[in-house]
Order: sequence, then C-alpha cells, then structure tokens
Amino acid sequence: MSFRDLMRMALGNLHRQKLRSSLTISGVVIAIAAFVAMVSFGAGNQRMIADQFDDLGLFTTMLVFPAETGDSLLLDEAAVERLSKIDGVRLAYPYDRFDVEVSWGDTTVSVGAQALSESALQTKYYSNLEAGRLLDEEAGSILVTEELLEQLEVEDADSFVGQSIVVAVKSASLDSAVARLFSDPDGSLASRFAALDMDSLWKEGYLDGILRQELNAGTKRFLDGYLNAQTLTEESFQVRGVLEGGGSQRNRILPVILPVETARRFDAAGPGADPTELVPRIMQGEIFSRSLQSGKSYSQVTLDVQQFASHTALSDSVESLGYEAFSYASQFEEIRRVMLFFNMGLGLVGLVALVTAALGIANTMVMSILERRREIGILCSLGAQPGDIRGLFLVESGTIGALGSLGGILLGWLVARAASAIAKIIMRNQGVEVMELFATPFWLIGIAMAFGILVAVLAGSYPARRAARLDPVEALRQE
Amino acid sequence: MSDAWLSCFDLKRHYKRGPQTVRALDGVSLDLREGELLALVGSSGSGKSTLLNLVAGLDRPSEGAVVVQGRTMSEMNQRDLANYRARNTGMIFQSFNLIGHYSALENVALALAFTGVPYGQRAKIAKAQLAELGLGERVDHRPADLSGGEQQRVAIARALVTDPALIFADEPTGNLDQDNSEQIVELLAGLCLEGRSVLMTTHDLELAGRYAHRILRLNYGRIEEERELPENRRRS
Repeated sequence: MSFRDLMRMALGNLHRQKLRSSLTISGVVIAIAAFVAMVSFGAGNQRMIADQFDDLGLFTTMLVFPAETGDSLLLDEAAVERLSKIDGVRLAYPYDRFDVEVSWGDTTVSVGAQALSESALQTKYYSNLEAGRLLDEEAGSILVTEELLEQLEVEDADSFVGQSIVVAVKSASLDSAVARLFSDPDGSLASRFAALDMDSLWKEGYLDGILRQELNAGTKRFLDGYLNAQTLTEESFQVRGVLEGGGSQRNRILPVILPVETARRFDAAGPGADPTELVPRIMQGEIFSRSLQSGKSYSQVTLDVQQFASHTALSDSVESLGYEAFSYASQFEEIRRVMLFFNMGLGLVGLVALVTAALGIANTMVMSILERRREIGILCSLGAQPGDIRGLFLVESGTIGALGSLGGILLGWLVARAASAIAKIIMRNQGVEVMELFATPFWLIGIAMAFGILVAVLAGSYPARRAARLDPVEALRQE
Repeated sequence: MSDAWLSCFDLKRHYKRGPQTVRALDGVSLDLREGELLALVGSSGSGKSTLLNLVAGLDRPSEGAVVVQGRTMSEMNQRDLANYRARNTGMIFQSFNLIGHYSALENVALALAFTGVPYGQRAKIAKAQLAELGLGERVDHRPADLSGGEQQRVAIARALVTDPALIFADEPTGNLDQDNSEQIVELLAGLCLEGRSVLMTTHDLELAGRYAHRILRLNYGRIEEERELPENRRRS
C-alpha cells in the first residue's frame, strides 16, 4: 500500500469522525500554540540582542587591553601597528580618551572626547550617523554625539550641523608642580629643622613620623601645583555630523570626536589635568620627562575585524602578542547559550501541554481500533501487510499531529503578535524605547511542526502496533 | 495430484480454550484442482471456516501443510502471505464484509491497492468489474443502500478484481434468499469455466449438489465423506 493510499484512507477516517478528530486536534493546537508563543518570546529577545549587537557593529569589533600581569606590555603606537597586521584584522585604532570643555553660545559643558582617524570612523561601530556627515581631511571639523546635544539642550540634530563650538583642553603643568613641591609655604625648612626635638630623634617612631609628615606635605604640594596651575588650550570647530553615540560599556563613543591631528595639538600642550594621567607616566618612569620617551600609550585598542573571521583565532593571536582580548562575538555566544536554556525552559511548558495532547491522540487511536477491528480484518483478507495496518494508524495519528501543528503554529503566532502589540503599547506608555519582544522564525515553525508530528506519531505507535498484531480471523468475526 | 492448485496435507488446527483443547481441524488432506468448484459441507463447528482461513493464509495450522502451486505456506513470512492473499486469492464471506462507509466502487478498488495497481487506474478496473456483475448502475452506492444479493455481488467483484486463481467463499449464500443464492453459486460455478478454482463452504446441500464438482463433508474436523459429481463437471 502506498503512502498516498494510507494518507487518503487516514484523511477519510478522520473526516468521518469529525467531532472526535477535531477535539483531538484541538488539544495539539493548544499545545503547539503554547510552545510557539513561549519560544517566540525567547527568540524575539535573542533577535533583539543580536540586532543590537549588529547595529553597533559589535560582531566585527574586538577590544585589546594590556595584560593584567605584572610586566604587561604597553599598548603604544608600535603595539597598534602589530595588532593591525594580525590576519583577519581590517583596522586597529587606539581608544584615545581625554576630557574637554565644550562651549556653545553661553553654555559650557565638561565632557569626554576621543581622537579617531578617518578610517576608524568608516567602521560599522561609528556608522550610526544621526545628521550631517563623517569627518574628512578638512581642518577644523568635529563630530559630536547626541549625548553632547542633550547636555547642550539641543533637540534638533540637523540644526546643530554646521554650528561652531569651542573645545578647550586643560593641561596641567609639571613645572609648577615641581616648583610647588620645593616651595615652603609653612615656614622655612631651617625653622622646621630647628623645631626638631633632638633628644627624641633616636626614639622609636619619631624620625619615621617626621619623614611621613614631610612626604605627605610634599605630595600635597606637588599635586596642588599640578592641578592649580593649569593652562587652557582652546580651538574653535565646526560640527560636521552628529552620531547616535552610546556604543558598548567597554568602548563608549564619547560625546566629542576629534581628528587625530587635532588631538595631537592638544596633547602637545602637556599632560591632561586629570591626576589619573600621572599614573602611566609614573609607571613608565617618565614623570619628569619633558616628552614621553616611550611614546603615548593607550588604555585599549579597538580592532575592526573581517565579517566572518574566527574570533577565537583572533583572540589567540592577540594573546600571543602579550595582550588581552575581548570579543563581543564570543560574549554573544555566551548570551546565546543562556538564551538557549531560556528557550528550552519556555518550550518545556508547551511540551508538557503536548504530552497531554499525545495522551488524547493515543486514546482516540485506541478507540478507533476497537471500532474498526472488522475493517482491519477485511484489509488483511485483501492482502494488507501488518506494516500497512501499522502505517495506516501511524499516518492517522501523524495527520492529527500535522493538522494540530499547523493550527497551533497559526494560533501561537497570533498570540505572539497580540502579546507583542500589548507590550509595545505598554512600552510606549512607559516612555521606554519600543522593542519587538516576539519573533517567530522559520526554524521555530519547523521545530513546532516536527515536534507536533513526532509526538503524535509516538502517541499513535502503541495503538498502531496493537492494530498490526490483530488476528485477522478474530477481527473478521466481529459483528 | 499434479493438477492441484492447492493441496492440504494432514492439516490440523487445535485451539486451547481454558483447560480444553478444541480440535477445530483434525487431519484434513485435500486437493483443489484447476477450474474446480469444491464444496465443503458440514454442520456448524465442523471446521469448514477454519479450513478456509488456513488455505487463505489468514491463520496458521497447528500441524500439517498447505501447498499452493508448489510453495509450502508455512515457509512463507507475513509479507509473502499478504502478497499471496492480495494476488492469488479472492475471499467472499457470508456477511459480505464490505466496508460500510465506502461506495461499491471504493470497496472493489480497495483490493487493487494491495497489488500495486496505480491509483488512477483502479476506478476504471473496478467499474468494469462491477459492470460485468450487473452492478454498473450501483457503483456509487454504499453497502447499506444495496440488497443482500447486490452486496454479495460487490464482494464477488472485489474478490475477482485482482484476477486471482483461487476463490475462497465462506457460506456465500448464508444471508441470501433462494433466488439470490442460486445466482451467486451459479456465478461462482461460472468462474471455474475461466480456469479459477473455487473452494466454497455451504450448508445448502441442494445447491452444492447442483453446481459443485466435488463435495467434501466435514465432521468434527475430519473429512467424513467425499463425493465426485461428474455430471456437474461435464455440464460446465
């Protein structure tokens, strides 16, 4: 008997028992709908995260940091050059961050700025241009982000393009810091020396206390000189474009983006006013050098990598150069793994309902066999093989599963759409960015269909085996 | 024995029913020759239907052998037996055993599904078979809409549609009136003219005497009497 014959007979039998069939199919519809709606939520969340990663260009971005070991290599220009030569890396550029004051009209705000080359700005990470255009070679151009516009209370990004803003960088003076260190505002060194209690000099802790007191006072004077004798370097720029900004936590796009050449001019003015900038200089043993012997070093370097490059291989290459690598793609894999468990948990709820539906299918098939014993006997007398009889009941239960799955997928999709619409209304009312929380991808439809049919066939397998084992003589004898 | 289509050798079928052993068939040997109408007569429980089920391959004997055209049935597996039933035999029952929700045409065409006839050709073949038995106008009727005689003719059409060499008829006139019984047995006798062999069980000795080529009387699972009817053979 061909599958087509089995299919025709199965459909005919289901059609004859309309009420029973439709009730059994309804059970599968509800179970599959629950499965599809639940997993749609998980899939929607996963897609939302993937879209956000993709929008930010994170799948093609890697970050490099100095290794956290004692004698870690610096991320200087030479390191950037080495990193850019790794196979699969399209571009390596440093995260060159500094603080600036931006003045526009009467408003002045303190924000973070970063220097970026034109090629770095061409990468996907900086592709979310809100207004205007990216930087070019033209001098006096600057890019800003929406974050700056918010601080300046500018609402229309387009109107800000072409505006002139003044960017000022405060530089500290090491000269004044050193001068202040050796100045003696609290009286002469001689008078303090005279005030020493010579009798106590050899007493335990006395000299130690005096030295600590002097060192504390000296450090305080050095920092006073460093911080309070700052110079201000100002330059006027024309806003070329406005980026959405943001970026990732580890690689924030700062409110002001300057061309590398411009940033160098600010650098030449001296070390930044931020005392933390002293730390790398101290570590390099160049605190009192006029210019850095080892060149400028960075806290991190960003790698723009090829679309389908292996992030594992790239991480290995970076680590072999003595640095630490952070891959967003690897992080996404972790998220995906977590989402898989999340989806499985959601799917399990639907599958529990499917098990209940399967019991309904088994019950329907057993009833059907009891009612059709004589028909089975007739089929045997006509030459049906046990496999044909088994096949007939498996096709019947499989058809219940298939029809139930189709209905369930449709119902599940409708439920997901309705839930999505409600969620969007709530998000809109809450003033939250509206996001699509549900997705019904083709793989989910395929899995739901396969599960529905598989569970139905499994549920029908016991009754089908029973039917195939019926004694045809006994079956024919039944009235 | 050389022209026998089907032979049974010391065929036994014993059942366990509680502590008792029922000897439904207890050592039957017979031949069914080509073009022969062999009637099995005997009272209820004499083993007629049991014998028919064994030679039709629906049941397995406790002992003995059934040989069909040189092949011993006990050596056939389930698939071979199903093929044997589909291609070599046609079965006719007292209660017709038509599928109630199928039309006459669908009932007849169903038998072709097991012989590999393509679906598109089945209706045509089944329709021709029904027309041959005078049911050309009744093809779309369901069994419930047909008379007993018509239902049995549909069952005969179903048995013949695969063109089998062996026809097994279990009390084919049991549910029919005299006229219809006469017509059905005459029809079966006519099949022998085409070279088919018919093994028929019946209670109607008078009809068997008029059409059968040979009559075997079974009693308590054994052949009690064998009677040749050469005049019926000559007539056919």
